[in-house]
Amino acid sequence: MPLKDSEAVVLRSYPLREADLLVTFFTRAEGKVRGVARSAKKSKRRFGGALEPLTCVKLYYEDRERQELARIDSCEILDSPLTTAVDYARAVALGHVAELLDELLPEREANDALFRLTVAVLRSLRAGAIWMPLTYFELWLTRLVGFLPELGECVVCGQTLNGSRAFYHALADGLMCAGDKRLASSEMTPESRALAAQMFRTPVETMAQQVWPKSKAADLRKFLIQILERHLEKKLVTASMLDKLQ
Amino acid sequence: MSKFAEPMARLIDELKKLPGIGAKNAQRLAFHILRSSDDDAEALATAVRDIKAQLRLCSVCNNITDVDPCSYCSSATRNLRLVCVVEEPTNIAAIEKTRQYNGVYHVLHGSISPLHGIGPEHLRISNLLRRIDAGEVDEVILATNPTVEGEATAVYLSQQIKRPGVRVTRIATGIPAGSDIEYADEVTMLKSLEGRREI
Ligand SMILES: [Zn+2]
Ligand SMILES: [Zn+2]
Repeated sequence: MPLKDSEAVVLRSYPLREADLLVTFFTRAEGKVRGVARSAKKSKRRFGGALEPLTCVKLYYEDRERQELARIDSCEILDSPLTTAVDYARAVALGHVAELLDELLPEREANDALFRLTVAVLRSLRAGAIWMPLTYFELWLTRLVGFLPELGECVVCGQTLNGSRAFYHALADGLMCAGDKRLASSEMTPESRALAAQMFRTPVETMAQQVWPKSKAADLRKFLIQILERHLEKKLVTASMLDKLQ
Repeated sequence: MSKFAEPMARLIDELKKLPGIGAKNAQRLAFHILRSSDDDAEALATAVRDIKAQLRLCSVCNNITDVDPCSYCSSATRNLRLVCVVEEPTNIAAIEKTRQYNGVYHVLHGSISPLHGIGPEHLRISNLLRRIDAGEVDEVILATNPTVEGEATAVYLSQQIKRPGVRVTRIATGIPAGSDIEYADEVTMLKSLEGRREI
């Protein structure tokens, strides 16, 4: 079969047999692709650091007849998370991006907008400045996979929420007005709703200079993670690790 | 019904759990054991039993050992004030191969791994910090892997270990010896430029 090539982001790799790696990629051309990199565990010469999760690469691969897994031919590094400082918080943030994409992407279905979002967010995700790019990623990801409700109106009665209080709940499909909120709902601050609106108008690069404390837009992130976890019907490992960060 | 007698099927099932052993290989190994002498089979069974019964972790450095403290920690000729931190016990062999390193070790048994839910609280570092706090250490060499997870682990450890009088160093990363810089990827090249030294 012909050799294919695509820009790709490495999502995860698992040891397979003695020396091989099973690697999941988010390719620009075909979405999520899983493949086997032969001898990648033993001989680092062939792939070097290119199979490290969240590395942006030019991937060369080949589909094999009647086989689900592609054969990974080679990878050239375009951008590596190891070129800038890695601390614990950044490692968790990178892991979060990988986990979300691995869980949400269907196999072999291209999503160019989501690919471009991922590459741009990975570039701005620096040590000491993870919360803005993470919020940006979660917001746009939720929209691009089609799970984001209309943030401007109550999900129950449809009334506009502009200028009034808005609430969210783990079991509700969107924001609610004061009259329709459920028991034990949390409030989403007007500031966070304004930030969401701003992020829909602004490229992440433009906001990249902003260093957010963890508290900024924390309610928005919680709301988004609740939506994503409800659709996935599972808890995200990295979401609770982000919670525990100082 | 299984195509093998029950004891055979059971051995094959157990062998299949080993890394790198598929069904075919497990069958081949099982038949090899069946055909081998009683002594050989017994020796294999005893070795398997002993590895669990007799090996444990060194209370000083977490290395796998049959005596506590391990042979490195109880050595009369090693520099006990120089500690090299590694992710896995198997990493020690790689460092010993140099025949240049004369310090001791500390084994973490893993690294920070967010995708597996492993945070800093899961690292085995309490006995390392005890050694440092007791004033027994001059230098800690962080020899975790040059991956995102290994790097995050090293940065976290360096923050935890920092004490006056204790030097904390990170192993260098760069171009493999005997290779050609023409074929180095950009990260490796960047790291080797960052880690350059005067000659
Ligand atoms: Zn309402
Ligand atoms: Zn020891």
